[in-house]
Amino acid sequence: MSATPPVGLPRRRVLVAALLAVPAMTGCSFGSGADEAPDPLIALADAARADVDLVRAAITADGGLAEKLQPLVDARAAHAAALDAEVVRLDPDRADAAAPTTPAPPPSLGRDPLARVREACEASGAAAAAAAVDLPAERIGLVASVAACCSTYAVVLV
Amino acid sequence: MSADEARRATIDGLQDALATEHAALWCYSLAAAFLTGPAAEQANKDARDHLRLRGAVERTLSRLGAPAVSAQPAYATPEPVVDADSAAGLLRVAETDALAAWRSLLERSTDPRVRRPALEALTDGTLRCARWRVVTGTPPAIPPFPGRSEPT
Repeated sequence: MSATPPVGLPRRRVLVAALLAVPAMTGCSFGSGADEAPDPLIALADAARADVDLVRAAITADGGLAEKLQPLVDARAAHAAALDAEVVRLDPDRADAAAPTTPAPPPSLGRDPLARVREACEASGAAAAAAAVDLPAERIGLVASVAACCSTYAVVLV
Repeated sequence: MSADEARRATIDGLQDALATEHAALWCYSLAAAFLTGPAAEQANKDARDHLRLRGAVERTLSRLGAPAVSAQPAYATPEPVVDADSAAGLLRVAETDALAAWRSLLERSTDPRVRRPALEALTDGTLRCARWRVVTGTPPAIPPFPGRSEPT
């Protein structure tokens, strides 16, 4: 919105328009329209699913990693399921959309699959930790546990 | 929730975290008598972590104007501690209890100055707990939901 009134428009009308515009704009944040920020748990659930794919690919590339990494696959799959369930609890309309419809492209492992997995755990732990602090009481426990789990894997996977 | 209720909830959560830190320190002092070698070194290091945590919680309570709960003279152990294995098992239980208290504090306090360090304590505790879970042969070393109150 321009700071100067448009030429030719009576000043009072501009003021009225400006006053009316304020509640209309703030109203958006309360509504259920498309402007509403997406549930932060959706991105965390997507990250959990991406990690499952990545870690499975790492095990396929190097079977020797299976013993070390299978518990991580199980943990990230459990995270995805729990986060999805929490997203759907607050927005039942998402029940059908929760499952990804298109298969993700195969993850890139680089030259050191274990290092790639470790980086992914670090990033997922940091993202969950950042999201956790602002969450309401009934959601922070789940997301904090996800953060603690991922960050600890990032430390132990050497 | 009013500001006073929120403060009360934070204090209650901190007192519970402090009580489990007191208990953990008691467990580490008991276990020390049975541990040798790398396990004893790990226990020493972990006990120092708990000392730091206990001090941090006591300072936070003092900042909030609440008198900190005291340690009990002794605690009941879930299993008799008679050797290195049962000592490590006690430390696994102590760490698991502490994780539950830190997660509970996160759920009870909305103060970011409490939530951030509580999340850090939950994360650092998950690593300590994982080491004792490995020592005691309790897979998975890292549970998917550290601090969730359920048999792990």
